[in-house]
Amino acid sequence: MTNSNMTCEAFDAALPDYLEGTLDEPLRAAVSKHLGECVRCTGLVRDLQKIQKEAAALPDLVPTRDLWQGIEARIAAPVIPFVTRPERQKRFVPAWMGIAAAALVVSTAGITYMLTARSLKSDSSTTVAQVGPSVTGADSQRGIDSGTPQNPQAASVDISGTKSGGVTAATSVTRGEGTTIGTRVPGTRLVTSQPGSEQRPEAVYSKEIEMLQNIVTQRRTQLDSATISIIERNLRIIDAAIASSRAALEKDPASRLLGEQLTHALDKKVELLRTAAMLPAST
Amino acid sequence: MAAASSALRLEMADSTDVALAAAGDRLAFERLYRTHANRVYSICTRMSGSRVKGEELTQDVFVRTWEKLPQFRGESAFSTWLHRLAVNVVLNARKTESKQESRTEQSDVDDDRRDEMSRAPLHIERMDLKDAIAKLPDGARKIFVLHDIEGYKHEEIAEMLGITSGGSKAQLHRARLLLREALER
Repeated sequence: MTNSNMTCEAFDAALPDYLEGTLDEPLRAAVSKHLGECVRCTGLVRDLQKIQKEAAALPDLVPTRDLWQGIEARIAAPVIPFVTRPERQKRFVPAWMGIAAAALVVSTAGITYMLTARSLKSDSSTTVAQVGPSVTGADSQRGIDSGTPQNPQAASVDISGTKSGGVTAATSVTRGEGTTIGTRVPGTRLVTSQPGSEQRPEAVYSKEIEMLQNIVTQRRTQLDSATISIIERNLRIIDAAIASSRAALEKDPASRLLGEQLTHALDKKVELLRTAAMLPAST
Repeated sequence: MAAASSALRLEMADSTDVALAAAGDRLAFERLYRTHANRVYSICTRMSGSRVKGEELTQDVFVRTWEKLPQFRGESAFSTWLHRLAVNVVLNARKTESKQESRTEQSDVDDDRRDEMSRAPLHIERMDLKDAIAKLPDGARKIFVLHDIEGYKHEEIAEMLGITSGGSKAQLHRARLLLREALER
């Protein structure tokens, strides 16, 4: 339906703002004029205004049941506060732990030396755990003094066992007279052993194991009982492996495989004890 | 005049109970509940379109009110604050539900509802306004309830729903037309 001024489509477009009362004056006048002439649009406005009026007058609804009990039960439930994590306190590190750590470094360096030295000796003495190591090879008889090797290629060895080209590497082992063992900073000798005073590998392991065991024993009260139980169980397994390797090696001292197995077991024991020694105290 | 006086008395009683309830007095909070339960239930039921849902939401609203009462600063009347809280609880509940439904699925539901209304046979019994509101599509229903029943302005509704006030106006008009259509049958 149309009239001369406004179509019903134009009226429909203006209707929301007309009902809101937000139409500008010229448009509002046009809508009013259209409403005076159009039955369809007049009926539409009347219906929508009635809906508005009825909606505003709708009475409150009433719940079908008393909801208070459910609310009361929920608000009466105890509030469990989140456990606030206590501020982490600075952990006191006793002086003996520092000393133990330093001892560990020195011992580890010693073992590393032994392993490396063995690997460079003659083919017959390659395992550190072999009973009665053979005499040092020709290289060790060569005079290598003050880190000046006659044959740098052969005499200077990385901690990893690979040969390096010089002696300036921070971590190196130089064999021969005035042997330097362990981590070497140029111009510094951490541990020096004279020829003939070289410790047997097993003795080095024993010394380190004993020291670590002492630390772990002292720390028993600081560690969780379950942790101690696991450590002890694993130690028993490793000790059994060491004992069987030793027994086999006595029967066949030349076996490289058995020697390596013993070395491996000893390494595992040292590693486990070292881990236990460094475990944080249980809270 | 009498209505204004009654409202003032209610507000005074509210403020005492609000203070007591904020301090943990459950009896005072129950009095607040008894005073406002029907209104809150009406908002929840009409906005959600379901009486069952309305009851659940009403409980949620009062539990939330209990938790938030200490934060009520009295900058508005308690009833205004409570009704706004109720609207937010309903809207948040809807958002949570929406996460479980894909947007497409919900759109389909709305379309189905519209189709259902448009395809309904003409000879069915005349529906009353309350039922017709409940059958509105979700978005249109919320805006109709907030604007035409609860008296919120388009700007407020737009802020609450995260839409434009133009969008709110358009949805409201659509809701009214759908209601007219439903009521004419």
